[in-house]
Order: sequence, then structure tokens, then C-alpha cells
Amino acid sequence: MNQSIGTQRTLPLRRAVHIAVSGIRIRIGRSLVTVSGVVLGIAFLMSNLTGQIVKTAVSSERDARHKVDLMMSLVSAEMGPAGGRTLAVAAFGQVSDVERAFLARVVAAGPAAFRALGVAMQGLTPVTADALGDGASLLFVIGDAASAPASIGDLTRGMSARVVLDTVAGRAYAGGAAGPEVRRAPFFGQEAEQQEAEMAAAARQERFRITWIIAVSLMVTVVTVANALLMSVTERFREIGTMKCLGALSSFIRTLFLIESALIGMAGSVLGAITGAAFTLVIYGFTYRFGTVFGSTNYGWLLLAGGGAVVCGTLMAMAAAIYPARVASRMVPADALRSTV
Amino acid sequence: MTASHSQTEALFRGETEAGKLDHVIRAVDVHKVFRMGDSETRALAGVSLDVRRGEYLSIMGPSGSGKSTFFNMVGGLDKPTSGKVYIDQVDIAQLDPYELAWLRCRKVGYIFQTFNLIQVMSCIENVTLPMAFAGMDSEEARDKGLDILQRVGLGDRALHKPAEMSGGQQQRVAIARALANSPDILLADEPTGNLDLKTGEEIINLFSRLRDELGVTVITATHDLKMLKTSDRIVWIEDGLITRVSTPEEMQIEIGEVGGH
Repeated sequence: MNQSIGTQRTLPLRRAVHIAVSGIRIRIGRSLVTVSGVVLGIAFLMSNLTGQIVKTAVSSERDARHKVDLMMSLVSAEMGPAGGRTLAVAAFGQVSDVERAFLARVVAAGPAAFRALGVAMQGLTPVTADALGDGASLLFVIGDAASAPASIGDLTRGMSARVVLDTVAGRAYAGGAAGPEVRRAPFFGQEAEQQEAEMAAAARQERFRITWIIAVSLMVTVVTVANALLMSVTERFREIGTMKCLGALSSFIRTLFLIESALIGMAGSVLGAITGAAFTLVIYGFTYRFGTVFGSTNYGWLLLAGGGAVVCGTLMAMAAAIYPARVASRMVPADALRSTV
Repeated sequence: MTASHSQTEALFRGETEAGKLDHVIRAVDVHKVFRMGDSETRALAGVSLDVRRGEYLSIMGPSGSGKSTFFNMVGGLDKPTSGKVYIDQVDIAQLDPYELAWLRCRKVGYIFQTFNLIQVMSCIENVTLPMAFAGMDSEEARDKGLDILQRVGLGDRALHKPAEMSGGQQQRVAIARALANSPDILLADEPTGNLDLKTGEEIINLFSRLRDELGVTVITATHDLKMLKTSDRIVWIEDGLITRVSTPEEMQIEIGEVGGH
């Protein structure tokens, strides 16, 4: 073998990106059509993701409000209006947002005194365990089941009426032998739990159906982009052949198409994610009121979904480019020499 | 008869001048068969030709004669079915894709009838592209590119896009691009085919000048009779075979005869 023949090296990526960008710019019309394919696919994906996020936020807020309403109606059923009475609350472990919202509602009703153990809030008077029950007509027991004590007998000492409302289901009371009997009422019944389970099952089914629709729409997007790129390869056979004549390696041609497609995918998915999210937020805004939607939406999740959609769109476009890039890279340079197309 | 026969043989070997000659391209009994399904097309049926370094060679022949196939072969764009093609003493059939790319990048400069400039790039970007493929850094490539553009008379057009230029100017850019990596061979396929008479002549003269100044070997495939008088040798291909090799002097006489008829 002659010493004078060397081996061609690959071109730096920066140069390939530059060529790919100018390639997109000059064929802006075709590129935009390809981009819009990605935009549509990703917008659909993003609008579903946004819908999910908004619905979760709105429904959890509604759910919370519903629970607080339920608790309040139970309170008034037990003792009438809370205003002017002496109340007490004992919290164990983690206090949920719903419980906090409930306490705020009770405070708003204007009790004469509201003593609290284990929870700090405006309108509550922090006291020790001994002083908690003194003269109170109603005791709320809140917090998580794991942290709750086996007996709340000590807490009810000195209460005028021994009524206990408890958010912890199935708790047994011991040690309340003396004085008026402890009347106990759980906030939430079994019926609610069953209803919740049924709703969760329906939601799962709905999620599966939507996932399937999204998957199909993304596959359609991939095929569309692949088709557009394939046409672009046919259109550019002369350019590709010329580059090969100038010493371009097949791998460079392949890289060029992959970069171009990645850029198209990225642009399309950014655009698609923004339009999809914006469109859905507006639509939900009209159905649930804008204040509720914009106030309760978790923007961290929304951003994460957007990022995911962009990554997904870019990867999809690159996957779509694999076959066209291979066709392009296998083109014979001699074809470029042919004067007739 | 015998004398003219051996003279023709000498022409085939490119030995029109005395002394040992440096052959930049040697084709030895090159056959090429294209298969399309069941049918076979014999494009070349045993072509042998030696090309001297610094020679200006024209390949003539009607379309379908195998001219383009032979042309692709000597440019390292295609491999023979049988026989050997040596470019700078290297058998191109032995080269892997990386070596072939290297060869196309540095040994051969290609010029096309339709110019084939990359439309999205300016003149200077077109000219420096092969340099980038050769691994040259961009500063150096830019300087060299401007230098070559100056040489082909387009020093002031470096930043123009191909679409903003005339056909003759585009072909000059293409020639500058072909010269980017100082190749040994300039391979031009109908370089004047898309140009008017005057511009075509300018391009032909440019080839001649580049050959004299840079010592580059020029091989053109052409129908253009203007091309013949600047050539050192003219090779005629018909039905996949070289039917004759002549010098421009002989051609002048023939053309003169035809003209006088």
C-alpha cells in the first residue's frame, strides 16, 4: 500500500451544526412543514399532560373544600354553631392541609376560646395537656393515625361535654370512665373511602386510554417527520454527492441529517410544548374559572412536563431521521456528477 | 502503417515526450459491468490509459459511450468490475471508505457541469469546505481560500452566495473549491456545458493557466471542441472502448478539413 494515502478524519461537530443550521434556513418552507409535524404531536402530548396537572390541582382543591365542608357540617350537627363556645384541639404527628383549612374555618366561626395542643395557628391558644380539656364542650383530635396515642382519656379531663371529633378512623379510647360518657364521631365514613377507590379505578382506566392515544399520535409524528426527511434527502442527492466528492465521510452525512433533525425536533417541541400548555390552560380557565386554574396549578410539574415533552420530541425526530440519514449516507458520489437529475 | 501504429501505442501510454514519465493515473484493462436485475450493461470493455502528471487530457465521446463511467473510475468515484485503476500508484480497489474519502479530498478536485456549489454557503465557505474535511483549522483555511479565489479572479466575491453570481463566476468558485486541498488531479465533467461560448472559453483558459502555474493534471470529459486545442491529448471513447488517442494538431487538421469541405 502506498504510504501517501491517509485516512479521512471526521469533521468537528460545530462545523456540522453550522452546515445543518444553514441547511434548515435555506429550505425554511420545507423545514417549517417538518417542524409543524413535531409541533402538532408535541402540542397534543403537552396539552394532555397539562390537562392532567390542572385537573389534579383543581380536583384536589375541590376535594379539600368538600372535606372541610363535611367536617363543618358534622361540627354543627354535634353542637350547633361553634361561635361563643370553648373548644379544644389535639394534634398528633403530621397535620394535613385539609385539617388546617378546617381549623381556620372553625376559628372564623368565632369560638369564645380555642385551646390547642401540638398545633400552632392564628386564633389558637397553645396550652399544656393538663389544661386542654378544661371547660371545653368539644375536642377535635387530628393528625395521622400512626402518631396518635392509644388513649385520649387524659385530654378529655374537665370537659363540660365530652364530645370528641376524630379524623383518625378506628381509634379506641380508654380511660374516660369518670364523668359524662365520651361521645365519639369519626369525620369520614366508610362510604367515602369506597367512593374514592371507585374514582381512582376510573381515573386509571382513563389514563391508560389517553396514554394509548398519545402514543399513536407520537408514532404518526415520527412517520411524518421521517417522510419529510426522506423527501429532503431525495431533493438533496446532488448536494450530498458533491460533499462526498469533496471528501465527506458517510458518517458525516449521517451526522448532518441527525443534527438537522434534532434541531427541527427541538424547535418543534419547544413550540409545541408552549402552545399545548397555553391552549389547555386557557380552555380549563374557561371551564373552572381562571383564578382557580392559575392559582392551583403546580408550575414545577408543568415545567417538568414541558422539559420532558421537549426531550421526547427531540429524540423522536432523531429516531425518525435514522432511516433517511442512512439512505443519504449510502448515496454514491458519482451520482452528483450526472448532469441530468 | 507500422510506424503510425507504434506512435499510437506511445500515445496510449502518454509517452509523447521523451524520458521516463511520471504517471498520475494508470488504467489497466478496465472493465465495468452494471447489473440491473437480470439485465447487464457493459459500460467499459477493457480500457487502458496512462495519464502523465501535469497533462491536460480531454475525453470525448457520445453519451452512453462509457465516457462518464471511465471518468468516474479515474476520479476514484467508482471501482472497476475487473482491471486496475491506479491513482498515484495506488490501486483504488484496495482502498477502504476512509481512504477513498481521503483520496477524494486531497488528490482529486472535482468540477461539475452544473457547478454543484452548496447553495446555502457563501463562496468562501464553499471553497473552505474541503479544507475543513481535510482537518485544516478555519483561520488557515480562510486565508488559503481567499488566496485561491484571488487566483481564479473572484477575490472580491468571497462573501457572495452562489445564487448571486453568474454561471461563469459560479464555475470559477467550483474550480477554486476543487483546488482547495492542492490536488494532483482536476477532474472536470463537461465544465463548459452550461456556459456560453465566451465564458466557456475563459474557463478553458483558466484550466490551462492553472495547469501551467500549479502543475496540476487536468482531465475533462467534454463535447466542446473549444476544449480540444488546449489539450495535450484527446481520448475518444465509443462503446466502452478507446477508439483513438490524438493530439490537438491532428484534430485541427481534421476539423479544418471538415470545415473546408
